[in-house]
Amino acid sequence: MSAGAAPLALTCGEPAGIGPEIAAKARARLGSALPFFFIGDPAHLPAGTRVAEIGAPAQAAQVSGDRLPVLAHRFPAPAAPGRPDPANAAAVIEVIARAVDLVQSGAAGAVVTAPISKQALKEGAEFAFPGHTEYLASLAGGERVVMMLACPALKVVPATIHIPVAEIPAALTRTLLRRTLQITHEALRRDFALAAPRIAVAGLNPHAGEGGLMGREEIEVIAPVIEALRAEGMALTGPHPADTMFHEAARARYDAAVAMYHDQALIPVKTLDFAGGVNATLGLPFVRTSPDHGTAFDIAGKGVADPTSLVAALQLAETMARHR
Amino acid sequence: MTRHDDRPVIALVPGDCTGIGPEQTARILAEGRMDDEARFVVVGDRRVLERGMRFSGVDLDLAQVDSPAAARFDGGAVPIVDLGNIDPETLPLGRPDDTSGRLTGDTLARAIEFARAGEVEAVTFAPLNKQALYRGGWEFPDEHKMFAHLLGHTGPFSEMNVLDDLWMTRVTSHVALREAIDQVTFESVCRALRLADRTMRGAGIERPRIAVAALNPHNGEGGLFGREEIDIIRPAVEAMAAEGIACEGPFPSDTVYLKAFAGEYDSVLAMYHDQGQIATKLKGFNKGVTVTAGLETVFTTPAHGTAYDIVGKGIADVGAFERAIALAARLARRRRRDRDAA
Repeated sequence: MSAGAAPLALTCGEPAGIGPEIAAKARARLGSALPFFFIGDPAHLPAGTRVAEIGAPAQAAQVSGDRLPVLAHRFPAPAAPGRPDPANAAAVIEVIARAVDLVQSGAAGAVVTAPISKQALKEGAEFAFPGHTEYLASLAGGERVVMMLACPALKVVPATIHIPVAEIPAALTRTLLRRTLQITHEALRRDFALAAPRIAVAGLNPHAGEGGLMGREEIEVIAPVIEALRAEGMALTGPHPADTMFHEAARARYDAAVAMYHDQALIPVKTLDFAGGVNATLGLPFVRTSPDHGTAFDIAGKGVADPTSLVAALQLAETMARHR
Repeated sequence: MTRHDDRPVIALVPGDCTGIGPEQTARILAEGRMDDEARFVVVGDRRVLERGMRFSGVDLDLAQVDSPAAARFDGGAVPIVDLGNIDPETLPLGRPDDTSGRLTGDTLARAIEFARAGEVEAVTFAPLNKQALYRGGWEFPDEHKMFAHLLGHTGPFSEMNVLDDLWMTRVTSHVALREAIDQVTFESVCRALRLADRTMRGAGIERPRIAVAALNPHNGEGGLFGREEIDIIRPAVEAMAAEGIACEGPFPSDTVYLKAFAGEYDSVLAMYHDQGQIATKLKGFNKGVTVTAGLETVFTTPAHGTAYDIVGKGIADVGAFERAIALAARLARRRRRDRDAA
């Protein structure tokens, strides 16, 4: 609430990736209409980027639309496109922590993160988290969080994320699913201003198990949780066969879907909207979004990276922050 | 003028009579658009087809034959092997029924007997209801396994989903996810690639380009999120590429379908059911065709279901069913040519 119209903090992400490039391009596309500032090393931005260094987030709103407001965070090494430098790993992590400090103090309205390389951070700074999401949750005091993938056509939350498929059945407990649904439900109310959100829950198995013929997780885990939360007043449906719940007519019947695993959520999002998908972390005390692509080392430094997903991430963060 | 009629002989099975199959079958036969592609003999109950004719508002002359071998394909009456086994008036309409499922399976089994005897070269069937089939006593996870059983087939086979020029297939099918994971092995991935390659070549695609999906998120992220990509899938892809199959992968499964939709590949091999079905259904594969690949008999069917909400109205689209017929004819011709060449 205190954040109100505070500008959004955008982290640089892995500087050897496309983060700095798409940050400059997102500013060029959005202009001053959506105030945000880049946290990172100005030297990592593409040559010719018009930069306005700021001393505090509030100054971002005064920067003209043709310049990128930058809250400078100096890195020890230059950025070599496609080749992350272990010397920069610690600074990548510091930038994320700095963004979180700013949003928690109210100076920034939300955190938007550019892609990192988990491998590079692990090797360069012994980064122990599987990804941004887990690190942010830890910075926020160990909150239980979930990841939402959002594009204009679909919002979907996977109950399990970055684990081998072989581990999904064991990971998918009633407690986990219940928590996922509760966080999703609460976020839809708070960040998306939906008074009574409708959530469709996917099955785990083909045809949602077909009455137990193809797996029993629907009967033993998913359906009981749906029943219990429905009794508490949530508008839930399912478990639905995952292959028939994402077409247009089906999507019209819910505000968000909860999937059982990563690809069950990512496949429909990417198929419906390859370039514009956004990742939002729900359950944190602040708003955080990110583009749903990676560092794209193969095209870094070539000037061809597409900022569409980052632009959508900034726009979604602005909307969610406004609803808070 | 007489000329050799080389159109393949296809057994048309009207599908589960609680659904739209009979009215579609009647319409296709009456409108005759597929008559250049194949010669048809209906295998089913005459009363079912006649009710389909009424629903579709079409008229057909039927010629009862004892078996497809006795059929005359002179452009006159439509030959039908009347099994006399289904009185549609005793069964519900527009909802699944176990008895109807059993009878639909019985009917398909007869069509398969004719195929085994060499009297028909392919079986194209209207939509059935998998659950009714199962509950009616044909206890197979899907019809493809039932066909394989009835044919005494012991080699590899699988379902393929075809839309336009794209052929989608998968290593595992109608099993629980936890079983599917166990069934993804070096052998099963190789088998699926060989089967897809052979089936597509059998449809006239000279060098099918097959993209292989990863099992785990982010393609396993270098082993962090699972090792099947490293230990199983990549070695299998490499082994099959060395055999001359134009396969590549594994690729992250959330974008591999986009590559195929963009024309970079002719086929995607998924590891499990929903991985393939989510993307393909969004892409409109329910307007496509399902093929049972690997069996000695050609089987095709429209990918859509029994459409219970519109049964009896005569408005069911027949496009996918017609594409199923055209594909069956294409596969059957090619097989005949390969057999003749051998």
